[in-house]
Amino acid sequence: MPKITIDDLEIEAKDGQTVIQAALEHGLDIPHYCYHPDLPIDGNCRMCLVEVEKMPKLTPSCTTVCGEGMKVTTNNERVKMAVRGVLEFLLINHPVDCPVCDQAGECRLQDYYMVYGLHTSEIAMDMKVHKRKVVDLGEMVVLDQERCVLCSRCIRFFDHVTGTGEMQFFGRGDHTVIGTIDDRPLDNPYSGNVVDICPVGALTSRDFRFKCRVWFLNSTDSVCGGCSTGCNVRVDHRDGNLFRLLPRRNIEVNKSWLCDEGRLSFHELENGERLHRPMVKGEDGMQAPVKWSDALRAIDVNLKDCRQAFGANAILGLASASATNEALFLFKEYLKEQIGTAQLEFRLDHEDQKVTEKEDDILRHTDKRPNSMGAIKLDLMSRDLNGLDGALAAARDGRLKAGVIIWFKPLVRRDGDEQIEAKVAELINALQYSVVFTTHKTTWLKDANVVLPVTAWSEEEGTYTNYQGRVQKIGRAIRPKGDALPLWEAFAMLLETSGSKRLWLSAAEVFAGMSETIPAYQGIALEQTRLPGALVTA
Amino acid sequence: MKKIAKTINVSEIAERENSLVKEIFSPLSGMKLTMSRMVQNLTGQVSPTINYPEERRSYSDRYRGAHILTAREDGTPRCVACYMCATACPADCIYIEPKEHPDPHIEKQAARFEIDMLRCVFCGFCVDACPEEAIIMSRETEITAFSRGETMWDLVRLMKRPELKEFGMGYRPNETLVDSQVMFVPTEKVQKKMAGRITLKEDVEMIPNVTYKVQDDEKQ
Ligand code: SF4
Ligand code: SF4
Ligand code: SF4
Ligand code: SF4
Ligand code: FES
Repeated sequence: MPKITIDDLEIEAKDGQTVIQAALEHGLDIPHYCYHPDLPIDGNCRMCLVEVEKMPKLTPSCTTVCGEGMKVTTNNERVKMAVRGVLEFLLINHPVDCPVCDQAGECRLQDYYMVYGLHTSEIAMDMKVHKRKVVDLGEMVVLDQERCVLCSRCIRFFDHVTGTGEMQFFGRGDHTVIGTIDDRPLDNPYSGNVVDICPVGALTSRDFRFKCRVWFLNSTDSVCGGCSTGCNVRVDHRDGNLFRLLPRRNIEVNKSWLCDEGRLSFHELENGERLHRPMVKGEDGMQAPVKWSDALRAIDVNLKDCRQAFGANAILGLASASATNEALFLFKEYLKEQIGTAQLEFRLDHEDQKVTEKEDDILRHTDKRPNSMGAIKLDLMSRDLNGLDGALAAARDGRLKAGVIIWFKPLVRRDGDEQIEAKVAELINALQYSVVFTTHKTTWLKDANVVLPVTAWSEEEGTYTNYQGRVQKIGRAIRPKGDALPLWEAFAMLLETSGSKRLWLSAAEVFAGMSETIPAYQGIALEQTRLPGALVTA
Repeated sequence: MKKIAKTINVSEIAERENSLVKEIFSPLSGMKLTMSRMVQNLTGQVSPTINYPEERRSYSDRYRGAHILTAREDGTPRCVACYMCATACPADCIYIEPKEHPDPHIEKQAARFEIDMLRCVFCGFCVDACPEEAIIMSRETEITAFSRGETMWDLVRLMKRPELKEFGMGYRPNETLVDSQVMFVPTEKVQKKMAGRITLKEDVEMIPNVTYKVQDDEKQ
């Protein structure tokens, strides 16, 4: 553990840490382009030059390992002049496309120019070396060779993270360009990450292209709802619309990466029409909009009637592993404590086995539900039914009469999704009385007795438990349209209607209640579920 | 001795001064003023008013009136939808939707560009913010319309401005920096009878293009 001094600040660096790593960890900023915490070090951009006592020349801080007693200066005149020189070199052939460049506003060239540069360019616009613009690199990425600062972050990403090695430098000197051989499209499932790691506007997102200038966006921290990995994301939104997902660095889960499917998963919410009002089927067999309170009272009365007639175990509770822990906990509270049924299930397609099954060696898991581990820890697995198929069979031969069903469509699609949805539809058809909590309109909803609109991913607060058993907080980015309520709130109201003594007034309160009663969550406070998340006890 | 405060009977004084003679002549003195003004106006010595709209005042060539969107040589809008104007606008009245430009060296252009003229406060910040000289101002002041919808000026309305031959161009600080064109403004100088407070019924020449020049060293 070498002790070093950076600008009067004494730091105890970790063994083998470089100066820039130690500085960034302690909140000191050293300008850099090529250094990235999750990529191998290259040391090619020379923006990170610092002065080290007793070293004759300035040295790049990203390649200099901390040594005992090192004295580093990052902000004296000599360093500033050197950094300004590097910046001037990098900008010699830069097109300064800022008005049309999607990176503007979060561009390292712009930021460092304002701090270190502010020089007048000696190079006239028509003397600059021109390269190719708007090069199509597949579904995710658009390349502009002129804007590249040749930091090789993208190359190192494809060489060391995905191992696909698509990108390379071509040419020499001024004429060096970044690209793929013959402009081949980047078709690996993680290509979107190079857009984030490119410090300038050379690689920009195809999906986000021209959608919004970044300074108009608001950000909310959340967790991806695309699979059981639970990658940490930042949701960028404006005026109630989602614009993009960016990875948030969590070394324990996703490092700085996100898969392409997850990155685009929010578009799935835009497919199809949203449900806006609670609907109850009347005497005439037609669904009519009602108030939430009326719908909930009807559900409570009907389920209790059913219990009286056929026993509590004729009532099915089919949850979804796309719901938050809070919602699942209150779902269980209501159906187990108030109704008394033991027929609680969440497995649509063997999620309990798939939850830890890797789809590839980087991030993805085959279970495309974000909270299967949460449902497992809440024990929503009836030994009797053993999954959706069992429930369907039981409903067909009349063992199950009524059902409370939570249905969220998966945000990342896989083969077989249609069959599962068809089974759920069939189940609702087979049940005499069915209540469906869902987000989007579907054709089969007309068979349900009660349909209740709930909020989708990004519209509610709560926690997910990922495949490692890591409880992570998700945030509410936007408000739902119409009367949709968060699922936990719907069940909290149902509990109140049914006469439960304890009232649940916020998602945080529900989490506190859950950590009191559920052994796996014992002793976890909501605060701990932020970065890097809290592990549940096995 | 007790001091007695002096009191003034106002109505008494008024009565004393309101003599019969004054009562007869005061309307006449008022009429004298009116008549002399009328004679002055009729003979054209003094006139604070003009015959609007036949006559119009001449505004400064930095006047901030209704906006103009300038064009490239091929007639397409110069605007690259960078949102600088929308960001700078204090009234939040500019709405832009971008689209891809076929030329990769231009890359981006505005598919929609709308200014809500009723919300605009004519501060000219948008003109100052624009890096492309795509938005400039005219001396046009008449933005009245029969419906609110018509006061939302769209891309076409902001570009094609035949009425500008009457009003002329306004605030345009960067003309010398960028080669941008204005659609449908005749290039010959427009002669127009103008009136001003002092220069009554003199012929005032309208200058359709601004002569504001940027110093060479400011250009960079
Ligand atoms: S990369 Fe940065 S500096 Fe270059 S055009 Fe884009 S925003 Fe401007
Ligand atoms: S494209 Fe971006 S990440 Fe790749 S070398 Fe150029 S600047 Fe670096
Ligand atoms: S003149 Fe001012 S208020 Fe009007 S559009 Fe421009 S910036 Fe907005
Ligand atoms: S008018 Fe100018 S500032 Fe406004 S979006 Fe167009 S180019 Fe940008
Ligand atoms: S960050 Fe150190 S050389 Fe690039």
